[in-house]
Amino acid sequence: MSTPILQARNVTKTYPGVKALDNVNLTLAGGEIHALLGENGAGKSTLIKYLTGVHTADSGSLLISGAEQTFSNPSESTEAGVGVVHQERNVIREFTVAENIVLSRTPKKFGFIDWKKVNSEASRCLAMLDFDIDPSTPISKLSSAQIQLVEIARALYTDTKVLLLDEPTASISDAEAAKLFKVIHRLKDDGAAILFVSHKLDEVYAHCDTVTVLRDGKTVLSDAALADHPHDEIVNIMVGRSLASLVTPERSVNTAVDPVLELRNVTTTAGHGGISLDVRPGEILGLYGLVGAGRTELAHAILGRERITEGELLVNGKPAKIRSVKDALHDYGIGYVTESRKEEGVFLDANITRNIAATTWGKLAGPLGVVKVSDERALVEKYVQELGIRISSQDQLAGQLSGGNQQKVSLAKWLAADPKILIIDEPTIGIDVRTKRSFYELIWGLADQGLAILLISSDLAEMITLADRIAVMDSFTLAGTVENTRHYDSMSQDVIRLIHAKAPSH
Amino acid sequence: MKLKLPASLGSQYLVLLATIVIGAVVLGISSGGNFFGPVSMQTFFQFLAVPILIGLAQMITLAVGQLNLAIGAIGGVSACLAAVMVADWGFNPWLGALVCLVVGAVAGLANGILVVVTKINGFIVTLATMTVLLGVQYALVNTRTISADNWKPVAALGKASVLGLPAIFVIAIVVAVLVGLAFKYTTTGRHLLASGDNEHAATLAGISNDRSLTIAHGASGLIAGFAGFVSFASLPGVNQSVGGDWLLSSFAAPIIGGVSLTGGTVAVFGTVLAAFVVRLVDSARAEFQLAPAWVNLVIGAVILGTVALGRLRENRESTKAGMLRARVATHRINAPHMAETAAKEASL
Amino acid sequence: MSNETSPAGAAKRRQGIDFKRYLTSPQFFLVLIIVVLVGIIGSAKPNAFNGAFVIAPLLTSVAIFTIVGLAQMMVLSIGQMNIAVGNMAAFGAMFTGLAFDLWKMPFIAGLLVGLVAGALIGALTGWIIAKTGVNSFIVTLAMSFALLGLIPTVYTTLSPGSAFTAKPEGMEFLGRGTFLDVCMAGYCGPAAIPVMVVPVLLVVLLVGGLYSKTKLGREILLTGANIKAAELSAIPTNKRVVLVHAISGALAAFAGILLATSTGSFTPAIGNEFMLQSFLGPILGGTLLAGGYISVTGTFLGITLALLIRRGLELFGAGIEMLNVFLGLILLVALSAERIRTVRRRKPAELPSETPPDQPADRQALSSGATA
Repeated sequence: MSTPILQARNVTKTYPGVKALDNVNLTLAGGEIHALLGENGAGKSTLIKYLTGVHTADSGSLLISGAEQTFSNPSESTEAGVGVVHQERNVIREFTVAENIVLSRTPKKFGFIDWKKVNSEASRCLAMLDFDIDPSTPISKLSSAQIQLVEIARALYTDTKVLLLDEPTASISDAEAAKLFKVIHRLKDDGAAILFVSHKLDEVYAHCDTVTVLRDGKTVLSDAALADHPHDEIVNIMVGRSLASLVTPERSVNTAVDPVLELRNVTTTAGHGGISLDVRPGEILGLYGLVGAGRTELAHAILGRERITEGELLVNGKPAKIRSVKDALHDYGIGYVTESRKEEGVFLDANITRNIAATTWGKLAGPLGVVKVSDERALVEKYVQELGIRISSQDQLAGQLSGGNQQKVSLAKWLAADPKILIIDEPTIGIDVRTKRSFYELIWGLADQGLAILLISSDLAEMITLADRIAVMDSFTLAGTVENTRHYDSMSQDVIRLIHAKAPSH
Repeated sequence: MKLKLPASLGSQYLVLLATIVIGAVVLGISSGGNFFGPVSMQTFFQFLAVPILIGLAQMITLAVGQLNLAIGAIGGVSACLAAVMVADWGFNPWLGALVCLVVGAVAGLANGILVVVTKINGFIVTLATMTVLLGVQYALVNTRTISADNWKPVAALGKASVLGLPAIFVIAIVVAVLVGLAFKYTTTGRHLLASGDNEHAATLAGISNDRSLTIAHGASGLIAGFAGFVSFASLPGVNQSVGGDWLLSSFAAPIIGGVSLTGGTVAVFGTVLAAFVVRLVDSARAEFQLAPAWVNLVIGAVILGTVALGRLRENRESTKAGMLRARVATHRINAPHMAETAAKEASL
Repeated sequence: MSNETSPAGAAKRRQGIDFKRYLTSPQFFLVLIIVVLVGIIGSAKPNAFNGAFVIAPLLTSVAIFTIVGLAQMMVLSIGQMNIAVGNMAAFGAMFTGLAFDLWKMPFIAGLLVGLVAGALIGALTGWIIAKTGVNSFIVTLAMSFALLGLIPTVYTTLSPGSAFTAKPEGMEFLGRGTFLDVCMAGYCGPAAIPVMVVPVLLVVLLVGGLYSKTKLGREILLTGANIKAAELSAIPTNKRVVLVHAISGALAAFAGILLATSTGSFTPAIGNEFMLQSFLGPILGGTLLAGGYISVTGTFLGITLALLIRRGLELFGAGIEMLNVFLGLILLVALSAERIRTVRRRKPAELPSETPPDQPADRQALSSGATA
């Protein structure tokens, strides 16, 4: 093992009420691929943002090649040879591929931009990835996987000593990922230090040498050789306890009952083709698929935000005409808990009363549409108690709550509307393990009360824990539906096989 | 880099060009050819300089996702200050011309700094500075009209011709070309666009959004000052009404010319063409002797139509893309079936 | 009357007598400044607040411009703006004038015609915004110019002197009457209070009630707070946007008609100075430009302050151009204050999940809710 190229020591970063990073240590050596693991919300992205100067820390130090550095903005980290691909896409959509790659240091001649060199430099970076695309293509014409590759090419543009990759394989195909790993290994052989963040443990074991694990902002495993820690052990370290402790209750769905929600060979304006599925009262139907498989869009089609151009949508066996979320709720009793709770789920600047009561004013309003405040508060109080939402008073702003409590508010809003069918989209993203568990119990409880639940998740373990049946989606089509046997290994193989059977690669 | 226009943009330029040609021909016929006479053409191009300049000034703020309500007030104050300095205080007329540009740049920079420092919405900042400047403009000239006889050398430039075109029109075109080159070949220009397109991505690339906002407002003010100078040079006199009717046309030119309202794009050529269209509407009004109010009505309707059509086209395109994907998806589902049937048929 | 209606407002109210909070509220500052101003003007010019000749006109303008402020406030509450507020006022007033002059309608009927016209033009504007998703600034700007072109044309076509001057019975009473004209059992009211105050107060109460008491008001505020989340909460946001613009148009028309009745004639120039004032009132009064928060009392106080300053400038003989300079500066100062308040209010919301709050500030004026 060579000398460390990047060393972060005792990094602490606090947001009001939350310690995002708590005395975190990270060491990256040249010629090594280092895995950074942890659950959602463990602090991986925050750490990467600190290392690249996007955020500053409250305390802690950073050494690059032994010299202490404090990055106050991203360009300083680029200058110091730290390349990064963030989890979310950061490109200038109106610019070309080439210009996005060289944006941090645009080649110039006589003080003016040298467009020839821009394209040739970009081609050089793209060639490293074997990514065959015209550098003068506008970004807006690219798929999100292609944009991801452009961002990786961009990280290679400057003389990169350290390469930080935050979930680089989340939305690209296996073939593209294979190319990416080839490049990573080449950089490794050239002596660069690489940090690799991924949820896909198979990839991690196949390519990484060392590992650091974060949990709740703390380093729980620091710079260990990956070979010394088998798969199950790493998972236990990440989660903080054995997965086995989460036992699925005995679930029985009455299959004699007719489905309450049914899709028959549905084609939508979002791009779905030939989708057929059904959910019975009291059943949890899982809708599994990778990012970009079209699951959320299918929910939107059911809610009337996308048009259904062919096929039928049936509610209680009758064709349903839904043109908005309002129709879905008021005419058919369909509720939708959104995946992006901060942007779409809660009103951050509104108080708890308004947040939860939002779907119920129609019922509460008296003559002239006047809502009695005491009724409103009583109703909200009921759901605050029922879901165990931790608030100081109903006047607290939703933005002041923790992620888990915000998610409960988002759910409470829909339960207050008393739906018959509930679509729940990625309910536990960015939520800690304990709250996750209480969510699982909640969802089982709702199903037991006879609610039909369509659960969207890209977390396979969550799917296998929660769902009664799992419908697998891929590229806007249904790859198949399987009964959930709740045996993790066999189920995950079944599901993955379904996806691969459908997608020969792009 | 190859100069390749995206298909949609190219078609927009074609539409604008066709509108200009047809409009000019109609005007030419209805005026019995007088519209193409030297005097009429001279007037046409002379009064085209200001719409081009204020369109460009607005375009630059739109590029960073901002807007500038104060363009008219900046132009008005710069022209009035120059007039007062030359006529009342006896300064050299050319110094007055320079003052126009300086006032514009300073006022624009002030807008930019206010937006950056206070983080107040650019609409309100420029609304407030517009109000202040209008007060200053009125305080400078009151109800007087200061005659251009006070600055004859500059006024001569306002009437001069270069290659048969009014000099001030040529100046406006030169400014347009410079703006176009700046957005194409300088990092500053590209950085403005990057900030306007995606602030966060720009920050990650080491671009200062604050710098972009300040520069954009400063440049917008400078060009508004240019428009003030053009008015100073070409109008028979300067009074409190200078700049008063620039607001709508400053937005009309870039919007009709294809600049996105959400930032990240510029269209210098489109803006210039759209300024032609706006000017044609005005000529048509004069030709058919309609009330000046008609111009407002027509331009207002055209802007509404342009943005609404653009949005509808976008929606249609995304729907079309979805339908295409759906067809591919359906096809993939059906394909195995067909393979199966084909296999069966083969075995029979 | 406490019309401060928003989730945050409610939070403030519940905390009981929190003096620090109250003393830093924009409304309190406004009251303070107004009192000081009245004191200064009153002591420097003892005649300034003397009798019906000064107070009644001042109250008349306060009444009219409060309505103008509310017209803008409605639209601000959904995170949009209405640049055409003055032109909509002129549009509504034009129809009332037409109704009186050409169609010989009685006063109340003509008034209704104007209000309906204002509501319709507002609804059309809202419909365009909701349907196309183009941001409200551009749509209302274009609308304002379309109306600016249309209205004088109608006046010149239909009336000889470019003004409608017919005065049906009741118009004089509403526009210029004071409580001196209202006599009961031999006692008459004070001459300093115009009759107009009564309907205006009623409208203010209705708007306040709409926001604080009703389903619609709550839905409008949530639409302003986050239009996407509102739509996904089964709120028909498009309808709310249209409704809000319709009410804004009707309020603008009402203000225009009131102005016409107070001056005695309907002209195309009505509403010319409404635009700046319409922003001044709500913003000074603390309505957030981002939407989701409104203050009816604040709007009223903001308007009062702006008009007091104007009156003061007139009394001290300062030119009208100084008014513009002052108003512009006040707007900047008020906004800087508002900005600080917003930042303070939002701070607790910055709890990180996987992506911490590094998103830069909102996309400024162009981020109208409907575009999102």
